[in-house]
Amino acid sequence: MPANEIGSPPQPGTLLELHALTRTFGTFTALHDITLTLPPGRIGLLGPNGAGKSTLLKILMGLISPSSGHGRVLDLNLGGDRDSEGNWRLRRLIGFMPEADALVPGLTGVEYVSLAGELYGMPRREAQRRAHEVLSYLELEEARYRRVEEYSAGMKQRAKLAQALVHDPPVLLLDEPTSGLDPAGRDAMLRLIEALGRDHGKSVILSTHLLADVEAVCERVVIMAGGRVRGQGTVSELCARRQDRYRIRVQGEHAGFRDDLLSEGVHLIADEGQGEWRVAVPRNWTNVAFFKLAAVNNVVIRALVPDDETLEELFLRTVGN
Amino acid sequence: MISQTDNLLRYRPWRGTPRGPLFASLAMARVSMRLMLRRRLLWGLFGLALLIFFFFFYAQYLVVWITNQLSTETVRFAGVPVTVSNLTKFLDRLALNGTTHTFGNFIWFQGYVLVIVLALAGSVLVGNDFFHGSLPFYLSKPIGRWHYILGKCLAIGAFINLLVTLPAIVLWIEAGLLYDWQTYYLDNLNLLLGVFGYALVLTVTLSLLVVATAVWVRRTVPLVMVWMGLFVFLRMLGGWLVDGLKYDERWRLIDLWNSLYLCGLWCLQADPETIRPQPQPQYWQAWLVVIGVCVACVLYLRRRIHAVEIVS
Repeated sequence: MPANEIGSPPQPGTLLELHALTRTFGTFTALHDITLTLPPGRIGLLGPNGAGKSTLLKILMGLISPSSGHGRVLDLNLGGDRDSEGNWRLRRLIGFMPEADALVPGLTGVEYVSLAGELYGMPRREAQRRAHEVLSYLELEEARYRRVEEYSAGMKQRAKLAQALVHDPPVLLLDEPTSGLDPAGRDAMLRLIEALGRDHGKSVILSTHLLADVEAVCERVVIMAGGRVRGQGTVSELCARRQDRYRIRVQGEHAGFRDDLLSEGVHLIADEGQGEWRVAVPRNWTNVAFFKLAAVNNVVIRALVPDDETLEELFLRTVGN
Repeated sequence: MISQTDNLLRYRPWRGTPRGPLFASLAMARVSMRLMLRRRLLWGLFGLALLIFFFFFYAQYLVVWITNQLSTETVRFAGVPVTVSNLTKFLDRLALNGTTHTFGNFIWFQGYVLVIVLALAGSVLVGNDFFHGSLPFYLSKPIGRWHYILGKCLAIGAFINLLVTLPAIVLWIEAGLLYDWQTYYLDNLNLLLGVFGYALVLTVTLSLLVVATAVWVRRTVPLVMVWMGLFVFLRMLGGWLVDGLKYDERWRLIDLWNSLYLCGLWCLQADPETIRPQPQPQYWQAWLVVIGVCVACVLYLRRRIHAVEIVS
């Protein structure tokens, strides 16, 4: 992208590349040796509190520099002083929606978004025109002349998304965008984010601890814990990676069959009732063993299918490790 | 929820050439001023400032009129006979004759309103950014933290100049029209430059002080208390120590408004012996205090805004 332009998404081959990125604050290491390559798309950044998500977002925006390692976002190098021209250029390509309220009390919705546009470097009239457009797109058309502090939680979140979107950046960094929303508002926000990525070519990095948000919106997921990347890939890849899980349904008196399975080292993940279970089998287990035990207990196996992990199970297992 | 087709129709991509971060500071200043002008209480204070200006404006005219037009010894003022000499004696104390002390006194009195306006402005312009978490909104944009501080200081500076510099310039023009304008403007050009210098000292010092104290205490009431302490309590203490207990005149330096006044009078080239009350510290000592306050504010802001950005 030319240095003197902002707006409209470029289509680079790689959204970001990080190599051995580490960030320390005094004696505390917030990020350990992060190596990551991500293509453009909708990416979920999952992790519990203190995982290092916010620190990573700040590094990606050039607000803080890594203590060691290097990286690139949209072909721009990370690092250096936060107030350097390079980092300003990087932040022009990124729309950031913070988790905090981040509203300016006393301003109307259109003034707030227009101010954001001018802060991104847009001329005043362009920023005003664009603010009206973006607020209309985000369904705040009726409320745009109301003061932002009078907005409901859902409207505030959309106003924050509008200020991130006003300069039409190729990348959106969204920090807990559904925080504090009711189920309907949350669904609406997730649909908007998905549409921005799918229909308008935005790369979205969604930082959250809500697994359902990532499942609903993201194509890829990066799981962080303790300042390290614990896993990354597409959601389906990550969840299908384990081969030791089965969903089994039996017919007949199944109590004895279940006891035998447990005694053979099979772990019962969930009993879904009426002889249907989700199980994890031990190492070196062969599926023939299911049928042998069924014959012994005089039950009929009606279904035996490999069972993928849910994102929640994957997350808990990864973070737990 | 609107349909997907509508979404596609309504979303427009945008492309353009970005402007430098200094324009962002100007935008911040403009929006900050708008926020201030929406406060009704501040309009009351602006009205008070306007009254002080009108007092000086018409009193300056009155002095010239009395001097030139009145031949009698007494005039009736609200039914009470007042000798002309007593009337002019009162007005003479304010030096309403287009000289150095006219402007020094005007800015001194206007300062009372100015300090209250700034105490209230701090929380609106800066405190709210910390209290309501707006700082990440600003700092996540392609601007430096000094552009943020500059934007806020510009807004505060605009109010200071609106309340002080602009009316002082009008008083200077009026004085020229009341006296011999062909010689007054040329002979007293240094006064106009002095007014600009005084205004610059006030703008830089007070805007940094407002931003720094607002970053520190954030809420309106504590902010007003801090400003009361700085501009009322320390002023009383300084006066009591020097005038009451006859301590060294340098104790008056703890009165920041007095130190700013001395710096302003230095800009206006006033004779130190004519400054009231006496004794007063040296000009250079006042300058040291003012510069020290500015440096302390800059260092504090540098440290504080950095810290907030990391944890927010």
